[in-house]
Amino acid sequence: MRGSPGPFLLCARQELLLAVRSRWTQIFAVVFAVLALAVASSGYVLSGGHGVQDFARTAASLVELVLLLVPLTALLIGVLSLAPERGAAELLFSQPVSRRAILFGKVTGLFGALAAAQAVGFGAAGLVIFSRAGGSGLGGFTLLILGSFILTAVFLVLAALVSSGTVGRRTRALAIALVVWFGAVVLFDVAALGVASLLPSGPASRVLIVSVLVNPADAVRTGALLGIEGSGAFGAASLALLRFTHGAAGTGILLALSLLVWMVAPALLAARRLDKADL
Amino acid sequence: MFALPFALLLQITGEMAPVTPGGLEGRPPAMEASPLQARVDRAAPGETVVVGPGTYTGDLVLDRPIRLVGQGRPLLTGSGKGSVVRVRADGVVLEGFDIDGVRGGDLGRDSSGVHVAGRNVVVRDCRISEALFGIYLRQADGVRVERCRIRGIHGKDPGEKGSGLHVWDTKGFTFKDNVIEDVRDGFYIQSSSGGTITGNVARDLRYGLHYMFSDDNTFEDNTFENGAAGTALMYSKRIVFRRNRFVNNRGFASVGLLLKACDDVLAEDNLIADNARGIFLEGSYRNVFRGNVVALSDAAIVLYDSCGQNRFEGNSFVGNLTPLALVGRRTDTVFDGNYWSDNDEPDLDGDGRSDRPFPLSSVFDHLRGNLTAADLFSRSVSARALGAAERGFPVLREVEVFDHAPLAHPPALPRVPHPDKPPAGRGTLALAVSGLSLLGGAGVLLTGRRQA
Repeated sequence: MRGSPGPFLLCARQELLLAVRSRWTQIFAVVFAVLALAVASSGYVLSGGHGVQDFARTAASLVELVLLLVPLTALLIGVLSLAPERGAAELLFSQPVSRRAILFGKVTGLFGALAAAQAVGFGAAGLVIFSRAGGSGLGGFTLLILGSFILTAVFLVLAALVSSGTVGRRTRALAIALVVWFGAVVLFDVAALGVASLLPSGPASRVLIVSVLVNPADAVRTGALLGIEGSGAFGAASLALLRFTHGAAGTGILLALSLLVWMVAPALLAARRLDKADL
Repeated sequence: MFALPFALLLQITGEMAPVTPGGLEGRPPAMEASPLQARVDRAAPGETVVVGPGTYTGDLVLDRPIRLVGQGRPLLTGSGKGSVVRVRADGVVLEGFDIDGVRGGDLGRDSSGVHVAGRNVVVRDCRISEALFGIYLRQADGVRVERCRIRGIHGKDPGEKGSGLHVWDTKGFTFKDNVIEDVRDGFYIQSSSGGTITGNVARDLRYGLHYMFSDDNTFEDNTFENGAAGTALMYSKRIVFRRNRFVNNRGFASVGLLLKACDDVLAEDNLIADNARGIFLEGSYRNVFRGNVVALSDAAIVLYDSCGQNRFEGNSFVGNLTPLALVGRRTDTVFDGNYWSDNDEPDLDGDGRSDRPFPLSSVFDHLRGNLTAADLFSRSVSARALGAAERGFPVLREVEVFDHAPLAHPPALPRVPHPDKPPAGRGTLALAVSGLSLLGGAGVLLTGRRQA
């Protein structure tokens, strides 16, 4: 070891190495790249059977892919490595190092590995799209990559929170992670729509707009689609959203704020729970 | 005797030339006239006048049947007071010019790049820019417009622009292989019949194509894309169109194809894709949609109950969020033998049709019908989940619309034209970013593996 990188960096590097060597990360990288390529080539019908469409046209499908796959893998891979078996946890946490450093280091390392896997997929899809259909839409493409990284961070931190509550019980942590994923990606929206359909239209549209801002998966989806397609992305509904948040800047700030809270709050909570946990 | 003081007044205030509304622009005053005017005025009927390269500033009247041919793309720059070229005789041919409207004129007087009030005129290979209207046909039977490029006044509000090709009270016009961009309506056809529109492209505008009170028209092999509204057929009968592309109309009020009070229309083998709404039908009767592809729309069909006796057969509906949004309580529209990509019913007897009828309804659509903000979820996993759940466990049965014999396999895609895309910039930068992303990610994954 050259110098002493500190426990945080050591943990991060160790976790990155472990994650990169894990079969799960490799499978994720391959699956994500294949699906992204498939989506990139899905402009077939649109062009009347002449091949790839430019990025703005495939962006919406890529967003959908990211929203399904990224939270799921971040939660599963996160829980698998953050909730280690009882023996390993005891050994690791008995070292003279703060539990927070271990936790945040591990999360950072995992983030690095998953982000790298996604970068491979985005890069491959980008090469196909931009070489076949011209370079327009680079800004939206970058925004989508950023959104995907943010989703990874949010759901890794949520995985940390889940694991910190179930130290040594991996199966249970995995089950909870699946519930969290289903809740964030499907159940929350359905519930919001259900509640809204029972309310008069004024409060109903406020409920829908707030739920889009509050749920991290919806926040990334909305931000990415608005950024890529402009205010036409959701028809008249984007007008309602923009009016509610006093303009595009307001929407951006609220979305960023919501995602920031989702990254910071569960991390602090997880750290506190881990500090108190009896291992 | 009022003319002289009036003209003086005009010069002082810089007002437009005196044309009464609804009247026809005639000769421009001498100071606004093109230097070519003298050559035109000397030409005998039937003569060919060849114009060499150069810039000719001023407006031009063609009031005798001549061929005016530009060689080396001469540029006709308007005076900014009215139409640049005013065709006032039958049988005129105008070809090979660049025409600049200098953002001048006014809508009320139909100021155009080329204003045609004569029969059997041909306009060919002209490039018209910065004019309110590109080419305006006024009672101009039998006119042909071919291979022209029309680009409107960029940055103006659509309401302050004119149409690319504007047709009024004209019989038997032909538009072929033109490209129209950045105008109000690409093609605006009013009270005109017997027209043929073939192989054109209209993009980045309000309506790509707009018929009003115009019966018995045909359009084929055109592309209408990126319109704030889309393509609209209104108050017209017996319009036939095939193999057109209606694509990428994604605005607040956009549709791929709108029919309002149109009867006996036949739509065959068109591609209607990536629109907010694919086909929109209101107050229209006895229309037939056959062999079209409607894809990637939020709602494939929006149907008002003011319609009657319409038929959809042999169309493909692919990847639409909602197959049908019915406005009203009932419809007698016949859906027979279409392909629906959401239909997962099997075809056990192998007759090419699914064994059970396909219901055209969706819970999500029911929700968003009452609530605009629901569109915020329109492209989420939950919207798809709701649709699938409703198909599995139907609970809504307010209006029952079915395709009674849905196709089990998608029919072949229609052979629609595929126009060249406008050149896209920044390709290398985008490729570099993608390449870096790929290499960076792969680098992290691989070095991590190698390190002991």
